[in-house]
Amino acid sequence: MTDFNDPINDVSDAVINKRAELPLVWFLPIVALLVSGWLISKAMMEKGPEITINFPSADGLEVDKTKIKFLDVEIGKVTAISINDDLKTIQVSAQMSKNADDYLKENTTFWVVRPQVGLSGISGLGTLLSGAYIAMKPGDGESKSDFVGLVTAPPIRANAEGKQFILDANNLGSLRAGTPINFHGISVGSVLNHELTKDADAIRLTIFINKPYDQFVRKNTRFWIDSGIDLSAGAEGFKVRTGPLSSLLSGGIAFRNDPDDPIDSIQAENTSYPLYDTYEQSTQIIYNNTLRYVMYFKGSVRGLTVGAPVQLRGIPVGKVVHIDLELDESTKDIQVPVTIELELERIHKVNQQANLSDKDIMSQLINKGLRAQLQTGSLLTGQLLVDLDFYPKIPIVPNDNKSIYPEFPTTANSMDQFTHSANIIMDKIAKLPLDNLTDEINKTLQSLQGTSKAAKDMLVTAKGTLNTTDKTMNSAQKVLTTLEPGASTHYELEKLLQELTRAAGSVKQLTDYLEQHPDSLLKGKEGD
Amino acid sequence: MKTKAGALNQGLIRCHDCGILSQLNTHSCPVCASHLHARLPHSLQRTAALVISGYTLYLPANLFPIMTVTRLGTGEPHTIVGGIFALIDSDMVPVALLVLVASILVPVIKLLGLTLLLLSVHFRWPINARFWTIIYRIIAFVGRWSMLDIFMITILVSLVNLGGVAQVIAGPAATAFASVVVLTMFAATSFDPRLIWDNPNAYD
Repeated sequence: MTDFNDPINDVSDAVINKRAELPLVWFLPIVALLVSGWLISKAMMEKGPEITINFPSADGLEVDKTKIKFLDVEIGKVTAISINDDLKTIQVSAQMSKNADDYLKENTTFWVVRPQVGLSGISGLGTLLSGAYIAMKPGDGESKSDFVGLVTAPPIRANAEGKQFILDANNLGSLRAGTPINFHGISVGSVLNHELTKDADAIRLTIFINKPYDQFVRKNTRFWIDSGIDLSAGAEGFKVRTGPLSSLLSGGIAFRNDPDDPIDSIQAENTSYPLYDTYEQSTQIIYNNTLRYVMYFKGSVRGLTVGAPVQLRGIPVGKVVHIDLELDESTKDIQVPVTIELELERIHKVNQQANLSDKDIMSQLINKGLRAQLQTGSLLTGQLLVDLDFYPKIPIVPNDNKSIYPEFPTTANSMDQFTHSANIIMDKIAKLPLDNLTDEINKTLQSLQGTSKAAKDMLVTAKGTLNTTDKTMNSAQKVLTTLEPGASTHYELEKLLQELTRAAGSVKQLTDYLEQHPDSLLKGKEGD
Repeated sequence: MKTKAGALNQGLIRCHDCGILSQLNTHSCPVCASHLHARLPHSLQRTAALVISGYTLYLPANLFPIMTVTRLGTGEPHTIVGGIFALIDSDMVPVALLVLVASILVPVIKLLGLTLLLLSVHFRWPINARFWTIIYRIIAFVGRWSMLDIFMITILVSLVNLGGVAQVIAGPAATAFASVVVLTMFAATSFDPRLIWDNPNAYD
């Protein structure tokens, strides 16, 4: 390009300016071109493949806004959302970034992360403001660009280090994916998912324990449901146990390892463990050598539950495993067979004797007088327990035992005995002829009334008598005064008495003589 | 065609610095000793280079995000056009119009206007010289107002820096856009409007 020179006025001032304009100014567009070219090409280079993902719903997904993230790093963006031909699913088209290329394989999974507010906490809080995003978990296999999104998040986080284990539970309860797993109160993992076993008799929970806590899951590790407040009212009284606050609200799982477990018993991934319903259950040692007996108790077993302890002198040696109610249709007898399980390993044996099985020992003990009786474990709750003790005087009364287990002789418990005696007393009281008694009492009372009346009369008479006595006493006083020593009467009286004594002596002699000689009365005195 | 009444037609050159008129063949100004040119030297060439640079940078300025507004940890980068749509979406049509005028229309008008001026001068198009002089004046005047967006971004980036609550980050398009504005301003100043009137086919 040259400067414009007016052809009409071909005036040239160009003597000095004829030098060609330095092409320096043309560097400017070149630099600009380079810069923008570099920027654009860089952006183009960063653009990765376009992929499509099928989802059941586009809830929370927005074109140009929803991101695809892996480990919270943005690796793509939704560019279009359309409805599939089947009118049931939607298709999300996404522009991935260049580095996402390596992750887009056959087994790569996508799912939508939405905010979730649950009792156990809030997840995806960031999505509350930013909206949902699509999370990705890389997989292996061939490269692929069409994916089917998952409805729920897959069990494992893509990168977390740790181990996965299986727990078998009876009841899912409040356990959900995401339920925390505590180890000594530290949150060390979570439930990944849960499924019903094939035969539908248990729930299989897949859990994930983060490193480094996975090394504490060993051979004898026990898992239990650490849910909220565990208020148990058993035969041992009330017990309250609480887990961490989060599990207080939504339940949780805790585990504990046996200090005796050696470090080399760290379990491999996907080892299965039972999930105990309570902490209590998880602390019970499992005894393999158990003996089962059936017991027949007289009267009600109200308050006796399955799991109630069987104690020998107050120390638990077993538990109730089954309580039944039997009706004999022919005799119309009702029996309550209580099956118990004795864990004889709990008893420390001394002076051990070979060739003596547990069964033999038990039968010997029964012969020695070991009897079972129901006892109230807790007065507050009325829970019963089975107590074993020696009552050698109580005979064995065999029952109609239809179970496969041998019968264990029972005896009524002290309370039963007491109530029994009390009953007897009450019966006796009831048998008393109370009507007759009252009649007789009435009569007695009436006669008593008469008696008291007579007594009253008597008293009146007595009063008169007393007056007479008074007079008599006065006369006696007078008489006595006359009889005082010194008085003439006294002397005469003395004399009289002497005479009388003498006379009496004579009479005595006479009588003696007469006694010896009764014939003298007829014949007169001999020898005179 | 009308007879030109310009200084050059009468054999005179006006000094750029002190404005004195000298004879055509004078090399330097007798008053201030600066070099004398009848027209701005290489005006078309310089303007063309600057305008082409402007076009080149206008592309990334519109393709790339100009800024990222993060509110409570979330936010997407916006291109200029995207920002205008976002403003319309949030019912701020007047602001959207302002941004549209300042960031899209003005640079485009400037670039297109300068291009047309260059082409008309170079190819001696029969144009209305008076009209295009007015256009040139507008272009020269309005140039700096395109910086509105850039000023806004600079202020926002420094003011709205509340960490996680709100943050404004300038994008690569901001630099490109600022460059476009600066380049067009330079292009406007390096263009000599007298060349419009030097066009023999131009009419008044």
